[in-house]
Amino acid sequence: MVKPKAKIDEKQCLACCGCISVCPKDAIYWFGGKASVNPNRCISCTICVKICPVGAISGGGY
Amino acid sequence: MKYDVVVVGAGPAGCVTARFAAESGAKVLIIERRQEVGVPVLCGEGISRKIDSWDMLEGDRWIAGRMDGARIYSPDGTMVKLSADMAGNETGYVVYRDIFDQELARRAVKAGAELMLNTMATGLLKEKNKIKGVKAKRFDEEFDIYANIVVGADGVESKVGQWAGIDTCLKSKDLETCAQYTLTNVDCKDAYCDFYLGKDIAPGGYIWVFPKGKDVANVGIGILASLSKPGLAKKLLDKFIANDPRLKKGEPIRFLAGAVPVANPVETVRDNFILVGDSARQVDPITGGGLTCCLEGGKIAGEVIGEAVKQKDFSKERLSEYETKWKEAFGKKLKRNYMVKEIMLDMDDKTFNMLADSLKNYKFEELSTLSLVTALVKKHPTLLIKLKPLLKVSKETKRYK
Repeated sequence: MVKPKAKIDEKQCLACCGCISVCPKDAIYWFGGKASVNPNRCISCTICVKICPVGAISGGGY
Repeated sequence: MKYDVVVVGAGPAGCVTARFAAESGAKVLIIERRQEVGVPVLCGEGISRKIDSWDMLEGDRWIAGRMDGARIYSPDGTMVKLSADMAGNETGYVVYRDIFDQELARRAVKAGAELMLNTMATGLLKEKNKIKGVKAKRFDEEFDIYANIVVGADGVESKVGQWAGIDTCLKSKDLETCAQYTLTNVDCKDAYCDFYLGKDIAPGGYIWVFPKGKDVANVGIGILASLSKPGLAKKLLDKFIANDPRLKKGEPIRFLAGAVPVANPVETVRDNFILVGDSARQVDPITGGGLTCCLEGGKIAGEVIGEAVKQKDFSKERLSEYETKWKEAFGKKLKRNYMVKEIMLDMDDKTFNMLADSLKNYKFEELSTLSLVTALVKKHPTLLIKLKPLLKVSKETKRYK
């Protein structure tokens, strides 16, 4: 089964950039004052999902 | 556009670097992706009194409160009090970070630096692998900014560093994920910065309560990213506030999230390139405090850049004077504190309680790692095994001073 890619809920994202700084594939970037995922690069490792302080990221089983 | 220096990021590190480079006569441009300097405030807003002698800030508009000291609470509530003389190194002032940053930007501009807001770096300009400046985007307009030196001051998620070939990707064990409120209608009469430890309170980090005047406080949490679960930081912080009699009636006037590197510092120079501040991991891995490092490191960077511009030598060799100097000024301490962080992560709540109990009545002559370790080992000789590597580094650091 293919794990779902990380998805950021823009309404909840506070643009703290934690996810950007831990993404091992450089798949998250700053876009219009929020974090945004490039699904082509995302490997569903879920690091960003776990570390989001406000729980704005879903994916990879979470 | 052609400058001597382009600084990416108008935070404290970027602004101070820009100021000292401009004061040495360099033509400097700072670009900032946000529409306002200093906003949003991603910070606990505590800073050391050391800065008094640094000539960084004028007046006192940036000061929210002067602290009498710090109190550290172990998981069972045992309090260790550090008076201002001892704790002042870490907690001297609570500041208004937005004003603080804007003051630093003002000094940079006064020194001759230009500042461009709403401008995002999208890549580095390179010719034959040599860095020649940055590609930038402002609203829909894309343009090139040529510069002899590019300064990466783009914070924890530094992209500029990666573009320059420095591995700035953080492991989740080297990142604190943070959430914070500015609460009003709280009852924080004491001018103390409070820290709360414990794996149920803040795994791998702490909760802070920093008063900003009588009824306002900056209350936040940092947890180690590797111990985090989705949304855990906010959940634990909300729980703490709901159970704290001083805070539970408070209403947030600001809610923010942030991320703080608690890593070993990275390389900070390349040909035509310098990394400063959070992007260079210049943050104390124990406290997560980075302001003093930003200011101290930024000053060193600015001065070295100024000289490099005068000599027209932008090589890695020339710029590495910066790396040597900041490592001497505070890099060794960061390295040592990274080891302390690793040791602390291995300790359970019981050990923290025991340590706090041993220290609660201890009169610190100085707050240094060495004196702390000595005090602890006197009471608990078995700790010596755990703390031994630390003692060695601590003594070495002392010798260098």
